[in-house]
Amino acid sequence: MNLLPHEVSLLFSAVVACLALGSLHLKVNLALFSFQTFLIAVATAILAHVTGDHELYVIALAIFGFKALAAPHFLSWISEKLTAPRDYGAFLPAPLSMHLCLVLFVLSFALARELPTSQAAGHSWLGAAAGISMLLSGLILMLTRRLAISQVVGFLVIENGIYTIALTQTRGMPLMVEMGILLDLLVAVMVAGLLIFKIQKSFEHIDIAQLTDLRD
Amino acid sequence: MKILLGICLIPTIICLLCLFKVSNSAMRKLVPFLLWVELAIICFLTAPVFTGISSTIDILADFGIDRISAAFLILTNVVAASSLSHAAVFFANERKLGNLTAPSNEIWFYFYAALFLAAMDFVFLSVNLGFLWISIEATTLFSAALVYYGRDKHALEATWKYLIVCSVGIAFALLGTILFFAASQFCIPAGTLDIRTLTASARQLQPKFVQLGYIFCLLGYGTKAGLFPLHTWLPDAHSEAPAPASAMLSGSLLNCALFAICRLTELVKLTDHAALATNVPVFWGALTTLTSSLFLVHQIGLKRLWAYSSIENVGIMLSAIGLGSPALFLLQAINHSIAKVALFLLSGNIIQVSGTKNLHQIRGILKASPACALTLILAAAAVTGMPPFGSFVVEWLILLKAVSTGQTLFAVSLLAALAMGFIAVSTHVCNILFGASGKEPRLVLSKIHVLIPLLLCICSLCMGVTGLTQEILGIL
Repeated sequence: MNLLPHEVSLLFSAVVACLALGSLHLKVNLALFSFQTFLIAVATAILAHVTGDHELYVIALAIFGFKALAAPHFLSWISEKLTAPRDYGAFLPAPLSMHLCLVLFVLSFALARELPTSQAAGHSWLGAAAGISMLLSGLILMLTRRLAISQVVGFLVIENGIYTIALTQTRGMPLMVEMGILLDLLVAVMVAGLLIFKIQKSFEHIDIAQLTDLRD
Repeated sequence: MKILLGICLIPTIICLLCLFKVSNSAMRKLVPFLLWVELAIICFLTAPVFTGISSTIDILADFGIDRISAAFLILTNVVAASSLSHAAVFFANERKLGNLTAPSNEIWFYFYAALFLAAMDFVFLSVNLGFLWISIEATTLFSAALVYYGRDKHALEATWKYLIVCSVGIAFALLGTILFFAASQFCIPAGTLDIRTLTASARQLQPKFVQLGYIFCLLGYGTKAGLFPLHTWLPDAHSEAPAPASAMLSGSLLNCALFAICRLTELVKLTDHAALATNVPVFWGALTTLTSSLFLVHQIGLKRLWAYSSIENVGIMLSAIGLGSPALFLLQAINHSIAKVALFLLSGNIIQVSGTKNLHQIRGILKASPACALTLILAAAAVTGMPPFGSFVVEWLILLKAVSTGQTLFAVSLLAALAMGFIAVSTHVCNILFGASGKEPRLVLSKIHVLIPLLLCICSLCMGVTGLTQEILGIL
């Protein structure tokens, strides 16, 4: 099987996403997330070089600047301000969720194999497998973690997975659309960050498992 | 271009007024005035679509309106103008009761409401699936600030749930959008997100990607529309937001998500998978309608009651989309929005008078404020589909359509759900109207407090008794 350079980068990034499930330390999670996003940006740049599509360089740069640098720094700043260095605990123990993630990793290969491909559009099923597996590990992160900041990280991992699918199934969305999506993400992370501050102030914790006042 | 500028003008002015720290009392007068002007501008700009030879207007490359989206544009602005006009009296009451958290919060409320309105307008203007997604995500972000108006623990919890659940849900719609883009690359090498081009080449799209994309979009936008079982954020957000914001959420935000679903369903119906785009929405709509009417029975919160009734109506609208009738979807949306805005605005007043949201503690509204009580009866009758209100006619038409297309099972479950919803809502409404309240009313409501809800009820009545419904069906 011949692996293309950008596929190697994307698959590696999916493995990094899986590793992030193994630690409850926020610093480790954020560093791994940052590294994962960096690999995706590299894959985008490689693809830009191969296809000669200059829009992809801009997107790679924007992803690197915002998702790999700004967002993790913002979140780690929040975690320092609120002195919440690690998660309160997960609904699934770390080893178990890593194993689950590995099972889903295999599943995503099986799923990606089924996707229709055409050489003309440059589809790559390995890239899609990496994307689906990132999406699923992001979901596990969101569903099992209790700290509000971890939820935001999980959301960003899901978004990375979706971007990877876009990159490998469509060679990237149009530039304007991609920029709009990034802008929305930026605002979403900012709003979530502000809310986390408010939650800490009113509840004196940021454990979303305890936010259960509203129910029928 | 003229249309884009015209639509952005008034929200920009409101935002600027907020940034220049115009006083609260001035804002209460200015904002309603500006929004009714906005409505007039939009009616003027979209009029050629209804009267002219061509039923569509293209704006730049990625925007445009047709008759359905123009109608939704007008509806959204009617909802916003009514809600924010009522917000003036609502906030004046809050001040009297001493519930205002900080004076600046009100200014920020208007600021985000204007942005929220602009984002919703762009949902209906986008013909590019990518921009459609961006606008819908923007509505989530701006309206989160409206939900957080109360600044207490409950508001915070509701806002957090709303932001996270809707963002993740909408992320799946992004995945769906990408899959549609991928599907288009099998017939157009560069790919396209333009719904008109996609519709024109519907049969050449990659079928597997279309199917997957449709399912993911339904899942994503369905979360935003509050379909069962993805509705968990909806009752919390509607109940914790201040009444004018609840009215905007229920009366216009839900339509945005359903509008996106409608566009995609119309597209998928043209491919070889028409059955998928019929059966899934009809089944899911019926399921949502049935379960939400069950939730209506044991309800403890006044605004939660109306939130679940919104979910019930979302189910009906989704089924109308699945039955292949965007016109019926539009009509149901108009009727639901008008009546539900009236209900939420009145509920805001009732909560102010009685000082509680709890349905078991609100009693004797008829004695405390007869005008408010009578309008509440009208609005509740309109929303549950009693004749002669507009929603009765439309729900009747939807049932006819369902039976004539062989969806008898759906028609039966819809009837059962409507009956159950009607009984539940009328029981709750009777309970809060009659009986004796142990407490003195905290506030005396004057005529101005029921003016806008009453006007909306009259509109709903007009939709039913005049031939307006048939007229709209004819135009579309």
